This record gives sequence, C-alpha cells and structure tokens, in this order.
Amino acid sequence: MSAAPGWLRGDSPGLTLTRRSLALILLCLLLLPLADLRIVTADPWAELARMALGFVRPSFLSLENPLHAIALTVSVALWGTFIGALLGFPLALIFHRSRLVRAFCAFVRAIHELFWALLFLQVFGLSAVTALAALAIPYAGIFAKVYAEILELTPRAPAAALPAGVDRLSRFLYAELPLVWDRLASYTRYRFECAMRASVLLGFVGLPTLGFYLESAFREGRFGEAGALLWIFYGLIATLHWWGHRRLLPWLLIAALFWLGPWPDVDGGLLWRFVSHDLWPAPLLAGDLAGMGPWLAAIPDLLPAIGNTLLLALMGTVGSLLLALLLWPLASRHFGRPWQRAGGKLLLIVLRSTPELMLAFIFLLMLGPSMLPAWLALALHNGALIAFLVARHADGLTTGMAGLPASGRYAYELLPRLYPNLLALLCYRAEVILRETALLGMLGVATLGFYIDSSFEYLMFDVAFFLLLITAALNIAVDAISRRFRPREVPLDDPCSR
Amino acid sequence: MSLLTFDSVDLGHGAQVVLPALSLTLEAGQHVALLGQSGAGKSTLLGEIRRRLEPRAAWCPQGHGLVPLLSVYHNVYMGRLAHYSALANLRNLLKPRRADWQAIEALCDELGLEGLIRRPVERLSGGQRQRVAIARALHQQRGIFLGDEPFASVDPHQALRLLERIQARYATSIVALHQHRLALSHFDRIIGLHDGRLVLDAAAGELTLARLDALYPDAAGRSDGSVVNIPT
Repeated sequence: MSAAPGWLRGDSPGLTLTRRSLALILLCLLLLPLADLRIVTADPWAELARMALGFVRPSFLSLENPLHAIALTVSVALWGTFIGALLGFPLALIFHRSRLVRAFCAFVRAIHELFWALLFLQVFGLSAVTALAALAIPYAGIFAKVYAEILELTPRAPAAALPAGVDRLSRFLYAELPLVWDRLASYTRYRFECAMRASVLLGFVGLPTLGFYLESAFREGRFGEAGALLWIFYGLIATLHWWGHRRLLPWLLIAALFWLGPWPDVDGGLLWRFVSHDLWPAPLLAGDLAGMGPWLAAIPDLLPAIGNTLLLALMGTVGSLLLALLLWPLASRHFGRPWQRAGGKLLLIVLRSTPELMLAFIFLLMLGPSMLPAWLALALHNGALIAFLVARHADGLTTGMAGLPASGRYAYELLPRLYPNLLALLCYRAEVILRETALLGMLGVATLGFYIDSSFEYLMFDVAFFLLLITAALNIAVDAISRRFRPREVPLDDPCSR
Repeated sequence: MSLLTFDSVDLGHGAQVVLPALSLTLEAGQHVALLGQSGAGKSTLLGEIRRRLEPRAAWCPQGHGLVPLLSVYHNVYMGRLAHYSALANLRNLLKPRRADWQAIEALCDELGLEGLIRRPVERLSGGQRQRVAIARALHQQRGIFLGDEPFASVDPHQALRLLERIQARYATSIVALHQHRLALSHFDRIIGLHDGRLVLDAAAGELTLARLDALYPDAAGRSDGSVVNIPT
C-alpha cells in the first residue's frame, strides 16, 4: 500500500501545466498591490446605464454621413492587408534562411499599428499614406512569420514525386503552393478582420475612420450615436463573409482606391530631416556619448512606465486565462441548451470583435483613469477570443463516458484534453497583450504608450522613437519567454489564433 | 542486358541502414515484382533504383503524391514539368497548352478517367486518384516503369487492367505490390524482401502462392485471424 500523493504532487503533464499556471496566477496576485486599481468616477453604474441605453436605442438618424467613414474604414483595411501580404510573402520565402529578415520582422510587428500611425503622422499628416503604412508595415512582418510557418508544413510527397530537373519556380507553383493555398488564404482573411479593427482604431489618432466618430460621440456623451456606430461595426464584421466574398474582392479593391485619401504632398527634405535628424537623440548625433547619460535621465518615469507595462501585461494574461476557463463552456455543445449556447456564442463574438482600445475607452469613461479599465478590457477581449477557439476545439471532441454531470464533464473529460491547447493559445496571446498594453497608455494609463503619445505631442521625436524601440524590445523579450513557457507538445493547427 | 547492379551495397536514409549488404542485378526487358511486408525495405530499394535510373525511369510513388487543389490535367502535366521553362509552366497554370491537353485527355480516356480531366483531384475517389498517379507516370514518356504499390487503392480487376496497360507500354518495369496472384501471373521475376534482407529472387514460373505467403510470417502466425496480406 502506498500513501496517496499530496497536493499537486505527481509528474503527469496535466499536473505540470497546473503547477505552472498556478505559479503565474500567484505571481500576479503578489504584484497586484503595486497596480493602481482605483475607481475614480463618482457613479460608474449610472454612466454604464447611459451607455447601455445608447446601445439598446441607437440613433442612426443623427449620424452625419456614416457611409464615408464606413467606406474609408473598409478601404484602409483592404489595402493595408493587401500591401502587407504583398510585402510579407517574399519575406516568408527567405524567413527561415535569414536571421536578418527574422529580426526585421520581429521588430516591425512588435510595434502596434497605432504607434506606427503616430510615427507616420509626423511626416505624412492625416492622410491615406499614414493609414496604409500603419497597417501594411506591421502586417508584412506578421505575414512573413505566419506564411513561413504555413509553408514549412507543406506536404513533401507531391514535390518528391516530380521528375528531377524541375526548376524551383515550377516546383513551387505546382507541387507546393496549391497544397497550402487554403491555409494562406484563411489566415489572410483572418488578418483582414484584424485590419478592420485596427482601421477603426486609426480614428483615435485623428484619421476619419469609424473610430474617429465613435471616440467623439463617446467623449461628448452622445451615446445614442456611439451605439449606432458600434452596431454598424458589428454588422460589418458579422457580414464579412458575405461582402468580403472571394469573387467580390478584386472589385472591392478597385472601388476602395476611390475612397482612399487624401494623398499628401511629401516634402523630401522634411522627410529626410525627420528620419536622419529628428528621430535621434541630439548628443548621439553630435558624437557626444557622455551626453547620453543626462539625455536618458531627462526622460520622465522611464522605469515605472516599463514596470507598469509589464505588470499590466501580466495581469491581462492571467485575467484572460481565468476568463477563458470560465467562458468557454458557454459556447460549447457539451454544455447548456441550444438557446443558451447561441447567447454565449454571441457574447464571445461581440467581446472578441470589439477592439481592446474601444473596450478600454468605454471602461475608462465608466471608471476613470487607472489600470482597472485597461485590465478589464485586456482580460475580456483576449479571454473571450481564447474561449471561442477552445469551445470550437471542444466541439470536435467526443466524450468517452456518457451521463457525467456537467462538473465531471468539465473537469475530467474536457479540460484535461483542452488545457494544453488553451495554455498554448494564451502564450501566443501574451505577446499581443503586451503590445496592446503599451497601446492603452494612449488613453491615459501610465504605461509606455502614455509617454510615447505625449512625447509625440510635445514634438520630442527622439524620446518617442527611443520609447518605441524599448516597447519593441520588451515585446520581443516577452515573445521569447512565452515561447519557452508554452506547452511544446500541442501543435497549433489554427494560425488564426495569433 | 544488365540494367543495374548492386554489389554488396548498404541502402538507407542518411545514417540509418535499411538494406545492409544488398547484392542484386536487374535486367532490361524484364517485369519484376517486388514483394514483402510494409517496412521490409521495398520503398528504400525502389527509391535507390529511381535515383540510379534517372532520367530514364517513370515514377509512380506510394500514396499518390498528388496535389489536391489542382485539376487532373495539371497533376498529370507535372510528369513533364522539367521539359518546359518556368514561364511556360506558369502560363500553363492559367491556360493549358493545347498539345499537352490533347495528349493527357487521350491518356485519361485510356485509364478510365473519361470526362474527369478538368476536375480537381480533391474531388476524386481513391481509385480515381490512383489512376491519375499512374497517368502522371505514363505522361513522363520514359522507357522504364517504376511503381511503389501503384495498385494499392483499386480492386483486383482494375489492378489487372491497369497492369496490362502499363506492361503494354513498357518492356521493363519494377513494381512493388501486395497482390500475390498478380505477381505470379503477370511478372517475369519476383524479388522478396523481409526485414531488410533479400530472401527470394526467382523466376515467377518456379514459384507458388504458398512460397510467396511465407514472406509474411507474422500474418501466418497470427491467431486472431487478422491477415495483413490479401492474396488476389
């Protein structure tokens, strides 16, 4: 007779993952007192009620010319994705061969679309070039990485069956590309959905997409209009498969050209001055390395900003984990009745379709500027996204024992099979969460984004650029750490989870 | 006339030797059947024969190796991909070459793929895919036929008809298969492999079904009735 093992003892994979997850949650709890989680507004519930009323009773008629904003949002998303894919595809072909290309791609995708927009705004103004570059540049890096991963999984048999002496291009076009075409296309489609969200967000820096009108409607308390705009956005996302049909895309691309604008007059001299001079610290340009010390010291609150960014990202990741664990049964066929499932699915889709910045903005108006609204937004959006994918995974499983109670199904049948995948998804999202954490600073939360935004505002481009580089470095570091932490044995067959 | 000689050669993948110290001579003008259990080394041997006979041997791989998204025409066309420039191949993806189209249509009709030339391979049955893989090998227009289980997904009658078509076109063929009756009735010489060793090499006329079944000792010894080979 052997004694039963104690708490969490044992080396089964499930227990290992549980211990890791609990360690992460414990770390988050220990650091939680350092976070600023005050509720600043006097009466958050009344504010929420007013917003909910606006959402339930949207006033479509008071919108001024929403068609233009819709067309611009879609046009920017379409061309941003298209140019990103055009740039990313050739990079994907050499991605695994060149360390330089990998580093370049990691760098461009480590900076959020909106920060790129802030950067290009200084040179190209509120123009189509700013909007397109802000989307296309990070997406090129993302496409390069994901396309390369998909291409790596190309079945080898058809190419091996070819006679010797077939040139490289023909081999690629006949025996490789067609085998992965569906995966490439479905990832590009998913990225387009992300681009729609990003395109809306570009309104927050002043480009007249849907987000511009949303922000001003929310800020000025016109919740009926805000509700109407949100409904329009959800409608666009929900009908995407219909208006974004494969056959319609070429025509949409052409039509979008007419909606894009305005096109800026680029002053080559100014552009060169910006790139060669404004972005770099003055002491560095003067060759005065000793002068860099005071320059660095003059940046306000650099370390607290980095600390806040990392802390919020950790809180966001742990929050997403807990919410995903709670939410996924809502949308799974193994639980509840059909109408409950439909409701659960709708909730998850709404939460994952709403951009975090938008969620955070709404919570911010409700709760006031602290880390709480940002945390809620990050956890809700990412938790819902992971829950949705996990529920889809669960629906593909058949349970072994019939007639278990719901808790038994959850804890014994399903979760042990789903958890490695859930954790892997979370690790992929950790990088995204960090990128968005920095971004939420633009709303006034004291993360790196706050200082980047204000440096741009005060025209301190050298500081802004330096902080952007730090953000990118943090991102790359966290990506490397989460890659290590991720359960290795689960292949993520769905690239759309990234 | 000798086609190819192995003189005590180790065959395998990289450092892993599958067929140690193999000695074997293959003659031109013979139909050779290659028998043995899965994992006996048939594919390794065929792969090496293919490498040595390039560019004289047409090749029909195990598991078809087709591209599901492309049409039957394009899959068969791939047999002659090396004959044209990259540009011509690219153009052919968008607009099929007239001469190849007609040749491939005739080939498809001959192999029982009438009217399927435009259909994507992903919408074909297993047996039809098998024929496409054979058509692709025939379209290579080479002097020797090499097949790694080219009849694995067709029924015995179809296998017989396909084999007769192949042997009508080629004087020399080397084919791995599991159909023992077919091996005895339609091949000149039978080579048997077991566990990486050559255990049988004789003219088909000197052999019996019982001798061939002995190549599958695991199946004979099984008591649960699950027989691996199905002699046809």
